[in-house]
Amino acid sequence: MDGSKVAEAVALAESQAGNTIQYSLIKFIRILRQLGVRVSSAEAIDAFQALTRVDMVNREQFRAALRSCLVKTKPERNVFELAFDQFFVEPEEKQRRRELRRKQEEERQDQLSRAESELMEVLGDWQEGDTQLTPEQLKTFSSMPRAEQERMKDILERMKANPVNNPGELIARVMQSSLNYWRYHMLKAESARGGISRELEAQLTGEEELDEIIEGVQAEFYRKPEDDILYKDMQSIEDQDLVKVTALIQRISSRLATGLSRRFRRSSRRQQIDIRRTMRQNIKYGGTPLELRYRSRRPFRPELLLICDVSASMARYARFVLQFIYGLSSAVRGIESFIFSENMERVTPYFNRGRGFADTMTDIVNNSKQWGKSTNLHAALGTFIDNYSDLISSDRILLVVSDTRTLSPAGAANLLQDIKKRLGKIIWLNTLPGKDWGAYPTVALFEKHFPMYECNTIAHLEKVLHWQVFKNA
Amino acid sequence: MSLSVSELKKAMEKEGYICEDDIAVTVYLALTLKKPLLVEGAPGVGKTEIAKVLSRVFNTELIRLQCYEGLDENKALYEWNYQRQLLKIQIMKDTADSTALEKDLFDREYLLERPLLKAIQADRRVVLLVDEVDKVDEPFEAFLFELLSDFQVSIPELGTLEAVQIPIVVLTSNGDRELSDGLKRRCVYLYIDYPDIEKEVKILLIKVPEAGEKLSREIAGAVNFIRANLDLRKQPSIAETIDWARALVALHADALTADSMADTLNLLVKNRDDREQILEGANLMNILGRGSLKVNAAGEAGCACGGHTHGAGSHCHHQHK
Repeated sequence: MDGSKVAEAVALAESQAGNTIQYSLIKFIRILRQLGVRVSSAEAIDAFQALTRVDMVNREQFRAALRSCLVKTKPERNVFELAFDQFFVEPEEKQRRRELRRKQEEERQDQLSRAESELMEVLGDWQEGDTQLTPEQLKTFSSMPRAEQERMKDILERMKANPVNNPGELIARVMQSSLNYWRYHMLKAESARGGISRELEAQLTGEEELDEIIEGVQAEFYRKPEDDILYKDMQSIEDQDLVKVTALIQRISSRLATGLSRRFRRSSRRQQIDIRRTMRQNIKYGGTPLELRYRSRRPFRPELLLICDVSASMARYARFVLQFIYGLSSAVRGIESFIFSENMERVTPYFNRGRGFADTMTDIVNNSKQWGKSTNLHAALGTFIDNYSDLISSDRILLVVSDTRTLSPAGAANLLQDIKKRLGKIIWLNTLPGKDWGAYPTVALFEKHFPMYECNTIAHLEKVLHWQVFKNA
Repeated sequence: MSLSVSELKKAMEKEGYICEDDIAVTVYLALTLKKPLLVEGAPGVGKTEIAKVLSRVFNTELIRLQCYEGLDENKALYEWNYQRQLLKIQIMKDTADSTALEKDLFDREYLLERPLLKAIQADRRVVLLVDEVDKVDEPFEAFLFELLSDFQVSIPELGTLEAVQIPIVVLTSNGDRELSDGLKRRCVYLYIDYPDIEKEVKILLIKVPEAGEKLSREIAGAVNFIRANLDLRKQPSIAETIDWARALVALHADALTADSMADTLNLLVKNRDDREQILEGANLMNILGRGSLKVNAAGEAGCACGGHTHGAGSHCHHQHK
């Protein structure tokens, strides 16, 4: 082929590029990838081949063909549906959506400038030099709830009315720090949402057309935060979500439990030939080992011993952890639970009364002397050893749920090490976020002796129990 | 063996499998692209049924490999019949020369074919169902997807055996564990959700025709409400809905009432807590209300049971012992 022919072919391809189905498909796949759906080249080719085999004019067939080749998990399906609806639309509809988004953006801008002028009005001429508000702070103010904005303005007005020594700079600083606080608060709330939306931190491509769709899908996705509970800090789960969380915990724990009970029956993997029994069995064949006999490992059924911190900072976590553990009771025998703050209390009997979980928790909270006090793990463990040392045995796993912040940590660590010598395993579930562990010397102290896992979401809890308690025990 | 999408859908319906277009298209693609079909979804939505129906549609054999933790190649692919080999050695001990014997021992007749090998060696295109593939260990999964992309097996003593016909492969998963990317990449993916009311009515009319349109609609409405609004430990599956309908028919119930539900609910949910949750006053009312049952002015579902009094403002709790 001579040069001109190649050039011709390339030119032809380029002139058609915008309209071909391949081109659209590639753009669509690019959007999916930016949204965090992993699509390999092989799958892209499959998708194209699939399209050639269905009725492409039929939108539902077209959609089904792409979906069956491009997305392979359920959460990805949601992303796919949103992206498909945004991408494969009539040009007019696309235009309409573009308008809508522009309007939303304008509204946001309006809100911002309104907030700015309001603040200016209140602060007036105090604002000068380094006391000027940063754009970040302005943005924070504009996205604060209306009532809070009013409250803040009100405080400022009142301060202004005090003519004694017009404390301009001071007021501006107060303002700034409270805005900073709000910003931190809102960011924290946002990051607590985590989960899939965190994964959905999509990158933009730089091409306007594609980016619009990516942003559109993101916006849609954030409107449906049902899956987030799993990844939310348990402490910040709102009361209205409790029912949902309870159901979620029940589902997860029963899934863990069924997985577990299945494992008991099927242990063929770890079989070894039992020589003695095989020989005896095959005497009748003159010693030729026709029938093998196996020795399988005794199925592992963990016994859990739970020591749960219910001091003021931990009480909310404790509720979920206890619930989770009790969800496992169909597969795990003899769960023993204790709660502690200033001292240790056994709560196992509460759970054997056959009442609903919510009632049981109410009973515990009402009757317990420990709920919401300060923490002294040393004293609590002392009580435990004095009264319940018969519960310490080598086939038990001890779960400690605590943020490690306790009085006399060194003493507590010593006692725990004593217990560890007579126990199967100690696992520490720490509700502090992993990145903060460095700031607490107590974390380092306990971490040195006991495996410690970050555990402040239900997803963490599931993962730790699955891998540390049931898989590798 | 070539069908169009609509022909396939019709053929499946004829075999008693009601499906929407998207399921039909996906199955069709798996067939034409000759790729394994990976089906995911909650238990009891008809994942395994797809394979069974396909085998009936194409009038071919269904070979099933049930996965479980610890499943290995010996049980899935092939195994030498070791006992027979030993016996042969014993018999031939004094007569044969050793090289001939060895050759003889690793002949095809000593090979125990397990499902995967059987599917590859079949003369016609069979349906291979790999059920609950999420239960196997990861190394086996890796082995499986190699097999599913090449459709050939190397047996050291015999050499490489290639597929005579590439089988129709259906893999099902309950989502117990995330499957590896390699396996997913090689498959056409289908997620099946619980059916909507219309689809479930259709299914009931086919599977339990004696229930009739009215009762079927009530049952489907009730089950749909239960799945959507109640947080049960286990949601009722399609199979359980069918069983429930059969039970209601067997008891000559021509409509859903609090009584008939209390008598037959054990077939729909298999857990005491779930059962109590459904029979709890407010829920029961909603369920029966949904099933287009007469609702009286006070908002209470009409109930046929005469043995209780309606206290002022209290819901009726049915505790038939």
